[in-house]
Amino acid sequence: MTWTIAVGVKQVPDADEVGIDPDTGRLDRASAPAVMNGPDRHALEAALTIRDQVGGEVIAMTMGPPNATSVLEEAVAMGSDDAVLISDRAFAGSDTWPTSLTLARAAEALEADVVVCGEETTDSSTGQVPPGIAAHNGWAQLTYAEAVDARPEEGRLAARRDVEGGYELVAAELPVVVAVAFGEFDPRPAPLHRKIYGENDFEPTVWDAEALGIEDEVGLDVSPTSVGRMETVDPVERKGEVVDEVDGLLEPIAEVRA
Amino acid sequence: MTPELDTETRAAPNYDDQFDAIVVGAGLAGSAAALTMASRGLEVLIVERGSSPGAKNVFGGVLYTPTIRELTEFDDAPLERYVAERRFSMLSRDDETAVSLRPGEWHREPHNDSYTVLRGEFDEWFAEQAVEAGATLVTETTVTGLVRERGRIVGVETDRPDGTIRAPYVVLAEGGNSLVSEGANLKPTESRENVAVAVKEVLEFPDREGVIEDRFRLVDDAGVSYHYFGEGAVGDAFGGGFIYTNEETVSVGVAYRIEDAVAADQSPEETLNAFKTHPAVAPLVRDARTVEYSAKTIPEGGAESVPDLVHDGGVIVGDAAGLVLNNGVHLEGTNMAVESGYHAARAIARAADRGRTDAAALRAYPEALEQSFVVQNLERYAWLMDAVEADRDLLFEELPRAFADAGTEYFRMDRQPKEVHADDAKDVVLDALGGWTGAAKLALRYRKVVT
Repeated sequence: MTWTIAVGVKQVPDADEVGIDPDTGRLDRASAPAVMNGPDRHALEAALTIRDQVGGEVIAMTMGPPNATSVLEEAVAMGSDDAVLISDRAFAGSDTWPTSLTLARAAEALEADVVVCGEETTDSSTGQVPPGIAAHNGWAQLTYAEAVDARPEEGRLAARRDVEGGYELVAAELPVVVAVAFGEFDPRPAPLHRKIYGENDFEPTVWDAEALGIEDEVGLDVSPTSVGRMETVDPVERKGEVVDEVDGLLEPIAEVRA
Repeated sequence: MTPELDTETRAAPNYDDQFDAIVVGAGLAGSAAALTMASRGLEVLIVERGSSPGAKNVFGGVLYTPTIRELTEFDDAPLERYVAERRFSMLSRDDETAVSLRPGEWHREPHNDSYTVLRGEFDEWFAEQAVEAGATLVTETTVTGLVRERGRIVGVETDRPDGTIRAPYVVLAEGGNSLVSEGANLKPTESRENVAVAVKEVLEFPDREGVIEDRFRLVDDAGVSYHYFGEGAVGDAFGGGFIYTNEETVSVGVAYRIEDAVAADQSPEETLNAFKTHPAVAPLVRDARTVEYSAKTIPEGGAESVPDLVHDGGVIVGDAAGLVLNNGVHLEGTNMAVESGYHAARAIARAADRGRTDAAALRAYPEALEQSFVVQNLERYAWLMDAVEADRDLLFEELPRAFADAGTEYFRMDRQPKEVHADDAKDVVLDALGGWTGAAKLALRYRKVVT
């Protein structure tokens, strides 16, 4: 048997281009171009690795506006077999709850055996969506996966998980959601002909909320997150002292430690 | 009801011979070629190694646009300022003697087709024109070699997996550091006497509204092109310095022969810093912050260094073909790049109509280039570099000092009559030139620079 591997990818402002205004010290996000979330490239690599191990299909999915197609094109260039854009005005304002519900329904529709995600997105950094997908579907989850080992004969996927002080090896029954630890899957370069194809000739399937049967379960109104208050925190002032002689160094250190 | 995937996907896409031509490099020559071919109905693939066209491209700062204007809807082009003043300045260690031109005509459209631009923006826009005309652009892909069959160029190899792609024509627009052309033995590696190194900083002036307008005496979109020569500009090297004004920034840089960088042990960074701190230059760039630092090599071999431009299945254009003019007064390259890309593309389109890819069928390109300003200008000044090299001490050190000293003498305020000052001034210059005979010889030798 072969597996269907869905990969969640997201379009985010390019973190490298999010400049800091040198005069005000504020982040300037508006001028940053939209790119694929960095951790998602690693998720794609993990998905392609699983496909290399068992055979099957990698299908990229993203939830976003029509111009988010570019991250799907990139996923196809890198090696995804197909891609689906989940796009609907009804999604506007969705927090991680409806977002993970949407992706969970999409994964079901794709009859995914494995869903691979990056550990978090660089523009919101909650890390809640992969476990959310698993929870909505009642599937197993493997978070902070550093390595994957597909075991089709057992119908299980094993992963090495990064835990404090070491790692653990966990095998999960399919279907399973994997959140890939950032930095552990160096993304492969897109082959030339696939890159030309993905960026120029490939068109993704588009699904809306109705297609997934969730038109009443998404958007701002059903998002439980509410921002109570914002507070700007001033940095703590730190004491600094220049010591001229090395011999004079011990005393102030001892003072601080006391 | 479960939704389904409705896309037709291709498991193993293959674009071999799906394009008529592959253009190596989305600089000005490459995009001009791609745009011209696409406009004539050819399928064109542009392969660019930067993350976007222009991301890797460097030039001094002034683009001459008569041909680009013909090729596209030029009104949308991201221009910085038009050149309203050209200034030529001789610098000794601490003197400046300058000539400045501000013709009224340059203030009026089309502004003598001379504009400062930033390549990151301009090249991206120009490549977009080619894409809008139907060309396909792939970025972040480096061409590493050519595919040849019985000597004929039939495609390119890239640094990507599955990275070979075939097409009947290849346009090599890879720039001055032309590793592909050299690797394929289409041109020899240039000697360091014929290559200049250029370094450039883009400076901004934080929190200072109108500082560029005030310092350079500008209104609205007017800008300046300042060129500097002499030991105050590039020390003991053979070259010069420049300042160009952009909309919100200033480009300042130096360019000189790599040979001198090695022989005089003069690093580009030191040279640029010395230029920026020259007393005539420092006030123009005071309180600036560097926002960009870049460097490039410039092929300055002139007409003699231009390689064979056509091969079976391939052509060489732009800097890769050594199409740069530097005669001291005129510094041109990007306009020649555009012109060469345009003529090469026309020749390919005509050869494609006849179903031919051999070098003879592409001859129309070098022939058109020879009839154009590109080769005519290169040949006109072919003698100049050798002459300047022979006179370099005189031209770059002794004369700048002599003119400054002569000026000092001529305008001296003391209790001597003016006749004495005029004689002193004349003596200083004649000493440097080797008397009236030397002056006459020098004038004769260089008359063709301006006449």
